[in-house]
Amino acid sequence: MRRTGVAAAGLLVLLLGVTSCGGDDASSADKSTAVKGFSGDCAKKEVFCVGLVTDVGKVDDKSFNQSSWEGAAAGAKAVGGGAEYIETVDPKDYAKNIQSFVDRKVDVVVTVGFALADAAATAATANPGIHFIGVDAFQATTIANLSGLVFYEDRAGFMAGALAGLLTKTNVVAAVLGTDKVPPVVAFGKGWENGAKYTNSKVKVLTTYHPGGLDVAFNDPTWGAQTAKQALDNTADVVFGAGGNTGNGALLEVAKKAGAYCVGVDLDQWETMPGAHACLVTSAEKRIKDGVVLLISQVHNGTAKGGNFRGEVGLASYHDFDAKIPAEVKTKMDVIVRDVGSGKIPTGVN
Amino acid sequence: MNLDRLRPAILPVAAVVVALTIGAVIVAVDGSSPLGAATAIWVAAFSGPDAIGATLEKATPLVFAGLAVIVGVKAGLFNIGAQGQLLVGAITSAYAGYRFAGLSPLVHLPLCLLIGVVFGALPAWLAGVLRAKRGVHEVIVTIMLNTIIFNLTDWLAGGPWMEPGQVISRTPPIVGSARMGRVAGLPTGFVLAMLVTVAVWFMLEHTTFGFRLATVGANRHAAHYAGISVGAVTVAAMTLSGALAGLGGAVESLGVVGRFEPGFNAGLGFDGITIALLARVSPRAVVPAALFIGALRASSSELQAGAHVAPAIVDVVLGVALLLVAAPLLLRWLLRMPPSLSTAEVQFTRGWGS
Repeated sequence: MRRTGVAAAGLLVLLLGVTSCGGDDASSADKSTAVKGFSGDCAKKEVFCVGLVTDVGKVDDKSFNQSSWEGAAAGAKAVGGGAEYIETVDPKDYAKNIQSFVDRKVDVVVTVGFALADAAATAATANPGIHFIGVDAFQATTIANLSGLVFYEDRAGFMAGALAGLLTKTNVVAAVLGTDKVPPVVAFGKGWENGAKYTNSKVKVLTTYHPGGLDVAFNDPTWGAQTAKQALDNTADVVFGAGGNTGNGALLEVAKKAGAYCVGVDLDQWETMPGAHACLVTSAEKRIKDGVVLLISQVHNGTAKGGNFRGEVGLASYHDFDAKIPAEVKTKMDVIVRDVGSGKIPTGVN
Repeated sequence: MNLDRLRPAILPVAAVVVALTIGAVIVAVDGSSPLGAATAIWVAAFSGPDAIGATLEKATPLVFAGLAVIVGVKAGLFNIGAQGQLLVGAITSAYAGYRFAGLSPLVHLPLCLLIGVVFGALPAWLAGVLRAKRGVHEVIVTIMLNTIIFNLTDWLAGGPWMEPGQVISRTPPIVGSARMGRVAGLPTGFVLAMLVTVAVWFMLEHTTFGFRLATVGANRHAAHYAGISVGAVTVAAMTLSGALAGLGGAVESLGVVGRFEPGFNAGLGFDGITIALLARVSPRAVVPAALFIGALRASSSELQAGAHVAPAIVDVVLGVALLLVAAPLLLRWLLRMPPSLSTAEVQFTRGWGS
């Protein structure tokens, strides 16, 4: 009697163990480029440590948490150090998670997302010996040891919109966006509109923001798909999906329609959205990873400054569409990307 | 002390032990040290006044939400809207906390708590009335009210009640006169939670109202024949349940968050269902159950930084513990327990038809 019970418990444990093992394999493949672990005791001067605190979400979210973590790991490695992360489960723990790294005497703390901006500023003021990097955290006032890694989203949107203006055959393009309560989303949207009009004076731009609150606006793929469908029905043939899962829903919907193009956002979504390959001509990128790597190297050689640091924006590769895009469009786009990136062509968004 | 009084505790305690064991095995299989994980939990949740304070802070809303669910279940009602009621309590008390500045703390703090209680009770009262007068199932109504409340609070925090001069959806900070701090390291919210637990226990076990509530919960038809007004008890139980959830939200705003911000109270009301199950619908067991979950939640940061354990392990442990409590047969079979030890099984809620 007793033995069967123990055997059953053992079996259960085994089953659970195997499941967890499988899950881990999958995730470690995703994170293959980013190795977790400090290179020694962070309190020692010669050991360089980077600690990253995510917003509520995971380091393999195929979005800003992942880009930031890859940047932290690569940046630490490049200067001979190591990086670790804490995934935030409860937003009330932002400060506590940052403190965990402060207690371990790391050299750099990277916080991901605007929501952590307050907690990062407080911790930076209290710990002048540690440099903080706030991804997407706009700094209204400068703190010497806190760099806000922010981006000209309007420029990325403008570049993508300019391409849309050149590609559209119907002279109707659309943008399906997360909430207009988040300024970067609006910058993406306005930039897209102005970019399309810059290359195509006849173009009509259908812009739709998700009407819901922050908790749903970026996680409503059904609404994204419906809105994209409406845009297609109104003869739009290039659709910009910018708003997390909501935007992803739009991309997937556009992929169903032959001949229509879609444009991704934040990072090269060709890598993250295989279902949208049929339409995904490019993505309006914020190069978070490069920005984090650069800032970490600046901290390491002592040149990092407080305040806002503008990371690079740009367009992702055309991937499979490379052969289908006319050479003259590509030439025009190269100039536009260069001049918008340098600020020579104003986006008309402030 | 006779052992019989401890019997109801055997099942949940055994479930927790088995769940922690399984958690330890998963941690080991994942390549981390179970001992390291245990150390991390100890350091983060119990090792000093700060750690204990953190655990108590995490446990506080769970106590209120757990009591809210229990009061409902005792009357045969499944208040799945504790989350929404908690949010209403959280946002209304936060509003009162920043809007009515200038009052004495002796007036301001109790006023904010009262506002949280009253407004938290409101949606639950509505569900109770619909149940009593129209026979609309409270599960449906409270789920729907949850959705309405999520969106309403989002809109308020990002619209009319939003803190000016910045872009995040959140209310301005609650002023000092309405804040619940710590006294001698002990979060005052937790002290309040203990007092309320005793009051709810006394009400359920030692008052006529508690008896009526339990009778309605056990058999509505028998209660009706015995001359108990089933409708009035239903409305009262739901209202009380919502009031408790609302108080939990108010304490969270006034004591921990310091304002209302969407997302900061996510899941607390739903955790109340977990607590109620783990406590086997006994108010006396709510505090230990909440402390257990609170300790695990308080250690999420240290588990990752100190022991390199994914925070998801906490949810796995909770899930297994709940599974074993909810399915006592499984645990009894696993541990070869004599049936007599788990006879006092709880019928969590009545069926849809009765």
